[in-house]
Amino acid sequence: MKIIISSLTAFLCCMIFLSFPLQCAADEGKGKATSFEEAVALFEQGNTDRAIEVMKKVISADPQNAEAYDRLGYFLLKKAQFDESLNAFAAALKINPALRTSKTGSGLALFKKGDLKGAETTLTEALSLNPYPAFTHYALGLVYEKLTDYEKSVRQFKEGIKTFRSGKK
Amino acid sequence: MRLLMVEKSIRILNSVIFILIICLSFACTADAQALLQTGTKAPDFSLKDIAGKVHSLSMYSQKKAVVIVFWSTWSAKSPKALKRFDEFYRKYKDKGIQVVGINTENQTIAAEDIVNVSSMVKNLDISFPILLDQGLSTFQSYNTIALPSTVVVSDGKITHELAGLPLTATEGLFDDLMVLAGDPPKKKMEPTYRPRYDAVADANLGRGFVKKKLYSMAYPFFKKSIEKDPKYMLSYVELSKLYETEGNIQEADGTLRKALSVEPENVVILSELGYLLTRTGKVKEAIEILDKAAKLNSYTPSHYYLAYALGKDGRTNEALASFEKAISLNPFEPAIYTLRAELYEQNKMLKEASSDYKKALELLLKIRD
Repeated sequence: MKIIISSLTAFLCCMIFLSFPLQCAADEGKGKATSFEEAVALFEQGNTDRAIEVMKKVISADPQNAEAYDRLGYFLLKKAQFDESLNAFAAALKINPALRTSKTGSGLALFKKGDLKGAETTLTEALSLNPYPAFTHYALGLVYEKLTDYEKSVRQFKEGIKTFRSGKK
Repeated sequence: MRLLMVEKSIRILNSVIFILIICLSFACTADAQALLQTGTKAPDFSLKDIAGKVHSLSMYSQKKAVVIVFWSTWSAKSPKALKRFDEFYRKYKDKGIQVVGINTENQTIAAEDIVNVSSMVKNLDISFPILLDQGLSTFQSYNTIALPSTVVVSDGKITHELAGLPLTATEGLFDDLMVLAGDPPKKKMEPTYRPRYDAVADANLGRGFVKKKLYSMAYPFFKKSIEKDPKYMLSYVELSKLYETEGNIQEADGTLRKALSVEPENVVILSELGYLLTRTGKVKEAIEILDKAAKLNSYTPSHYYLAYALGKDGRTNEALASFEKAISLNPFEPAIYTLRAELYEQNKMLKEASSDYKKALELLLKIRD
C-alpha cells in the first residue's frame, strides 16, 4: 500500500512540474502565434494584402522569425511581387539556411520571373535539403515542363506523387 | 496476498488502458471506401451558405434524417437532382427531414463560382440550404466519388449513399425517407441493410493495423468481420488489398470473388476485381467485368479502371473516352489523371503525360493555382 501511495505522489508531482513549463511557454508564445496565425488565416481566406501587412508586423516584432519571412515570401509570390518575394526568402534562409520551404519558394519565384536555369539550380539544391520534397518535385516539374523537357517533367511529377503517397508531403 | 491482488489490478488497468489507446487511435483513422460507408459515423462539417451563414451537420441532430446532396453547376445531372430533392423537401421538411446541398464547384470557390451557384439555385427555386465546400474538405471526408451524390444521415450514421442519380435507387431512397418521416410504406418494404456494428468495429481495427503496417495483426480482424457479417463488403475490399500488398494475388482475387458470390452486382467489388485483374495481366476478363460495373451506375472508379484496362489492351480511343466519362463524374480524383498519364506515357505522348501527372499532383497537394 505504501508503495502505491508513494508512486501516486511521485506521479502527481511529475505531472505538476511538467505542466508548468508547457503552460508558461504557451502563455509566452500566445501573442506571437496569434498574429502569425492571423496572417496565415487571412491568406487562406484570399485576403493577401492584409495577410502581407500582418506578417510584416510579425517580422518587425520578431526580426529573427525565419518562418514569418518564409510565409511572407509565399504571400508576395501570390501577388506576383517576385523580387520582394525573393528578398523575403533570402532573409528566411539567412536566419535558417536549412529552411527547405524557403529554398523551394526561391526556386518558384525565379521560375515565375522566367529565370528557368536559376530555378532549376535552386530547386535541385532544395531537393538535397528537403526531407519531404513532394512540393519541390512539383516545382521542378513545372520548370522542366516550361523548358519542354517532358521526360524530366514526367519524372519529377511522378516522383512528387510517389513521395506524397509514401506519406512525405 | 494483498500485494499480489494490487499487482493484478494494476496489470488489468494497464491492459484496459492499452486497449483503449489502440481503439481510440484506430477510431480516428477510419477512412471508409466510397459506397461502402453505410453504418459508419457521418463526419461533421461546418460550412457557410451563400449568404455566409454557417451550417453544421450537428445542428440538424434533432432531425429524423439529413439528406446531403453533393452537386456542382458543371455536372449535367445536378440540376435534376436538386429539383427532385427540393420537391421532396418542401413536402417533408416539417416531418423531420432536412435536405442540404453541398456545392463542390471547384477546389477553391471563387466569386464568379458563387455567382453561378446563386444563379442556378435561384433559377431552380431551391428552398433548402446550399453550402459552399471551400477546399472540398467535406467532399473528401465523405469519400464522394461522383457528382451528384447523395448521403443520408440518421442518428449520426450514414444510412444511404447514392452516386449519380440512378432512377430506381433514388426512388427507393425517397420511399425509405417517407417511411422515416411517418408515411405508411407504399409497398412491402425490404428492410434496409445495416452492417453489424461488431463487423464494422473489427474492420476498423483491421484498417488501423494496416495503417500501422502491422499486417499480420490485421488479417484476423477482417476475417472475423466477414464471418460476423458476410454482407459487409468493405471488409472483403480491405482484406483483398492487404493480400495484394503482401504479394498474395491469388488470395486477393479469391477474396473479391467470394464477395461477388454474396453480392454479384456490387459495383465496388466488380470494379476492384477488374482493376486487380488488369494489373495482373488478365486484361480481357478485366474489361468484361469493368464494362458490367460501368453500366451498372455512376461509380467513377469503374469508368477509370475500365479506361485503364482498355488502354492496356491497346484500345486507346475507347480508353480516353472512358477517362473523359470518369472526369465528368468527378474531376477531383487524382487516380484518373495518374492512370491516364500512364496510358499517355505508354504511347510516348510525354507532353500529355506530364500535364496529367501534374494535375494529379496538384490535386494531392491541394495546389489551388
